[in-house]
Amino acid sequence: MAKTSLEARRLTKRFGSRTAVDGVTFTAEPSEIVGLLGPNGAGKTTTIRLLTTVLTPTSGEFSVAGVPSTQPNEIRRRVGVLPESAGYPAHQTGREYLTYFARLFGMNRSESSRAASRLLEEMDLQDRASSPLSTYSRGMRQRLGIARAMVNDPDVVFLDEPTLGLDPAGQRQVLRNVREIAADRGATVILSTHTLTEVEEVCNRVLILGEGRVLVSGTVAEVTSAVAAPRTATLRVPDSEVGVARQILAGLPGLTIAASGERPDLLRIRRSGRDGMNTVLQALLAADVTVLSFEVEGTRLHDAYLALTGAAPEESSE
Amino acid sequence: MTTLVNGEIGETATRPATTRGQGDWVVVAGQESRDLWLSGRGPLLLFAFSVLLSVFTYLAATNRAINFLEQREAVDQTLQIAIAVGVLVTLLVSADAISGERERGTLESLLLAPVSRRAIVIGKLVAALTLWFAAFVVSVPYVWVLGHGVSIVRTALLLGLGVGTLLAVGLAAFGLLISALCSSNKVSLAISFFLLLAFFAPSQLPGGLPKGWFGDVLGKISPVGSGLHYSTAVLVHGHGWTRDLVYLISPLVLAVLASAALLILSERIVRLTAGGER
Repeated sequence: MAKTSLEARRLTKRFGSRTAVDGVTFTAEPSEIVGLLGPNGAGKTTTIRLLTTVLTPTSGEFSVAGVPSTQPNEIRRRVGVLPESAGYPAHQTGREYLTYFARLFGMNRSESSRAASRLLEEMDLQDRASSPLSTYSRGMRQRLGIARAMVNDPDVVFLDEPTLGLDPAGQRQVLRNVREIAADRGATVILSTHTLTEVEEVCNRVLILGEGRVLVSGTVAEVTSAVAAPRTATLRVPDSEVGVARQILAGLPGLTIAASGERPDLLRIRRSGRDGMNTVLQALLAADVTVLSFEVEGTRLHDAYLALTGAAPEESSE
Repeated sequence: MTTLVNGEIGETATRPATTRGQGDWVVVAGQESRDLWLSGRGPLLLFAFSVLLSVFTYLAATNRAINFLEQREAVDQTLQIAIAVGVLVTLLVSADAISGERERGTLESLLLAPVSRRAIVIGKLVAALTLWFAAFVVSVPYVWVLGHGVSIVRTALLLGLGVGTLLAVGLAAFGLLISALCSSNKVSLAISFFLLLAFFAPSQLPGGLPKGWFGDVLGKISPVGSGLHYSTAVLVHGHGWTRDLVYLISPLVLAVLASAALLILSERIVRLTAGGER
């Protein structure tokens, strides 16, 4: 059985009368990538700051690789963090930056230099190792931040919005790095993000927070099916077959149809009850209706997220 | 492996703990010093210091040439400027050390390293003091030129190093305390600058301090003023080194109290946000 690398129990943080994190409980295993989701102010960043000992919990406890929260210095040796909107000293080079942090983690000069070279290579930054950080692009800085988070070979890596502000190529590269951290190093990755497609793409499990509480947790499939998202679909047929399609759909139980205002060829279908959308599609095909597109909604993480939080995910800081 | 004992999260580490600790402040001090000097901030402040000292030394030398100023006084006044401005720039650097990192977003990464807050502040204190020592080195030729021929150069330099270092330690520690407690870098710098003026101004009142017990107390409680007074007493009035030691109590108390407060409070005040967790 895999050992637990991260365990939080009833973790709570209050700032005066405001409760930012309210009894958060979850565990994570090695090599697992856990997506931490939630609208702005849901408590994602505060949860990460609690688990990385930057903040002290009001109540509750947690452990990282078996080290309890009462030993913050030991926990910091076992975690790597890319903080939200981290700053970088403009005049330092990438190599100097990583070497400094390696030294802070107890390595001597030669060890820290080797670690810096290795990480720069892993993050595809070796060509810019001697350039000042002021000349790095945002994507390069994010990769450097991830490299810094890996400098101590951590058991758990926390990445707070690692793809924020990156172009698609930069996002892809960071996500590849995230996968490698979990797969090659066996580290647990806690990925806080607003980009749900990233979560669907790389995360084994998801934790959706709302007002400081865990609203739901599980695999993407579990979360999606557990949350009663509306079962709707959008059907597109040729104009000449709209009438036939409507007739067939009208004969199916528990189905309501609405035409899209300016596009009569688009039919919005909502189905109640236990019947899925498969029977709708089967009935249309059996009647030889030409289906140009049939898009089922309510089966994606995005829909579950909306149903739970009532908020569209935004790419903005918490 | 994580174990649950009576419902509590147990403690079984998966790797041996590294126990360096003692040398962490050296690493922080080294990097902070490099940041100060290689970023251009240190050289810029030192350049401004040199320009100011050059102007003042020129004025002192010309006044001395036309007999407005006795040579010992010229040396003393230049030394006073070197100390006052040297500790001022040290204070400004330390006042930026924590609040500035907060604003630049670099403090969180530092707080995430397994380094005690105490090691962080000691490293930053040492780095700030490098600016004072550099300022002192820069002032050596000025003192030598003005004091040449009356064999007071060595005394002046020893006084400058001793009194200046005492003041620099106290004010740098004070600046770091303010920096840790201020949420804004501008506020930290403004408060630090104001406090330096408050420490320094009483000794610079026109006509000197008022006579009587009040003037006497005021002169002795102002760390910068009393430190400079001690320097003048030894250098200009020819007093023995021990005769006016009472004037060093105030700078010494500042250095000891500010440093002790910084070391004791560092774990509580060096945080991501100033004034407690928010």
